[in-house]
Amino acid sequence: MNRNQKIKLYLFLFLLAATIIFAIMFPRLTLPFGFAYIIYLMSRPFTLRLTTGSRKQRLSYFVLIMISLTFLCFPLIATIYNSDTDFGSLSNQLPEIQRVLQDKFFAIKVKVFEKYGIRINLDPVSYIMAKLESQGTVLISQFPNYLSSLFEWLLLVPLFLYFFFMESRRFSRNFLEAIPNPIFEKSYVLFSQFNAKFGEYIIAKFIEATIVGTLVTVGLLLIGFPYPFILGFVAGITNILPYIGPVIGFVPAFFIALLSKDPSVSMLGMVIIYGLANLIDMILVFPLLVSKIVNLHPIVVVVSIVIGSQLAGIVGMIVIIPFIAFFKLLFKEIYKDLSVHL
Amino acid sequence: MSYEKKLMEKNSKGEPSTDRLDIPLLKYLWDASPLSFLTKESYHDFFKKVSVLSSFSDNEIRLFTKFLHRREFMTNEVIFKQGDSGYGFYFIFSGSVNIFANHYPQNEDQGEFIIRLDKRQYFGEMGLLEEFNRRSATVTAAENTVLLGIFKPDLERMLEQYPVLGAKFLGETSLIMANRMGQLTREIIVLKKKVKELEQRI
Repeated sequence: MNRNQKIKLYLFLFLLAATIIFAIMFPRLTLPFGFAYIIYLMSRPFTLRLTTGSRKQRLSYFVLIMISLTFLCFPLIATIYNSDTDFGSLSNQLPEIQRVLQDKFFAIKVKVFEKYGIRINLDPVSYIMAKLESQGTVLISQFPNYLSSLFEWLLLVPLFLYFFFMESRRFSRNFLEAIPNPIFEKSYVLFSQFNAKFGEYIIAKFIEATIVGTLVTVGLLLIGFPYPFILGFVAGITNILPYIGPVIGFVPAFFIALLSKDPSVSMLGMVIIYGLANLIDMILVFPLLVSKIVNLHPIVVVVSIVIGSQLAGIVGMIVIIPFIAFFKLLFKEIYKDLSVHL
Repeated sequence: MSYEKKLMEKNSKGEPSTDRLDIPLLKYLWDASPLSFLTKESYHDFFKKVSVLSSFSDNEIRLFTKFLHRREFMTNEVIFKQGDSGYGFYFIFSGSVNIFANHYPQNEDQGEFIIRLDKRQYFGEMGLLEEFNRRSATVTAAENTVLLGIFKPDLERMLEQYPVLGAKFLGETSLIMANRMGQLTREIIVLKKKVKELEQRI
């Protein structure tokens, strides 16, 4: 490598590092940008098929997308439609839930004292309820901030999306041209693989969440379990997180079944519904949709989720997996190269 | 009297011409002319003359060029090294390249000179087709060179967006591979013969 090539390479690496630092320093811009990029990646396979091929092919694909979208959006719309009544009755029941929990804990305290003579002076139920109440107050006081950032997102995300759809081809061409020759081939292939993996992963998780959410909703509706839409929605959303998600999604339904005095509310039925939904996910949906895209060890996945949550909260928990899959790919490539050149 | 006639008269009388034609200025004026692009070869004209793509129609060449990457290399700049992971297939748009093979990879040098490839020739097709390709030779730019490269992701995109074009290109690339394989087989046969002869002599 001569002097000019070295300067070009270092300049490129410096610009790349500066961009990353800028992205970290300005999350208010980076997050909507990243969100728009995810939507763009998700829609790319569809837009590609809608713009190429014969008219008949394009039309049939359009119909297929519309049917899929209707199917995918149904649980979401049903949840929004029913959320008012479901949330209303749930919040009305909160004092009742608190009273039942306190009664049960008091019974445990009495049993422990009778059996072992140990007096428990803790009151975790009141503590949790007070915590929830204070969190709720914080949430309400922060509401104007959330609203302003929502408006910011409503403005920025479509703007970035427009940029991705109209300019991404030219932008990526210019970016690729700027990559110095010695690292071009590898960077280009890795960049393409990352884009493909990321887009596919998000689409796959979205479809997986919808299937699980729909299964839980329909199942709970059939057995007459309360709040089927909200619980189905929670099960679907939490299912985006591998391994930990299904457990988190199960907790609200478990407590509702535990605290309910209604004899028609069946704990066994609910457990079977959740078990079946997750079984179908594990046996059919996950192997067909997700596992081929992200081939990571379960421990790596769980550790990644914990790291992701610490770095960027819920968003971090979701997007960390394709990033880790990409880094695995990157390290494999570097290792392969080193083993040849050493 | 025109400038040319004056010059011709001076030449016929054997008089030395004091006026000199300013070639760089003329070249500059020619290049700056709005019609100068007509003299430059477009990607389309270039690929029309590349033997591998001779069966491509004008529209297919137009679509094909959408998937290419233009890369510029300076004299002696390494395009890729022997043992590198390979992902792309290159056409020489201008300039030329030297190919070297190192029979002893532990040596750091680029190895023995094998061949020089010129404009409209191509190299690296194995990188496009093989799953885990390792470059079998080192390629450097013999002069300032412009290459047009197509890489694995581009081929995948081409197959997805224009399956007929992708299949046609793959067919042509397979033909190159088949020709190279045939050539290699013939060379192996000759080499085996020579080894046998040497063994018999010993």
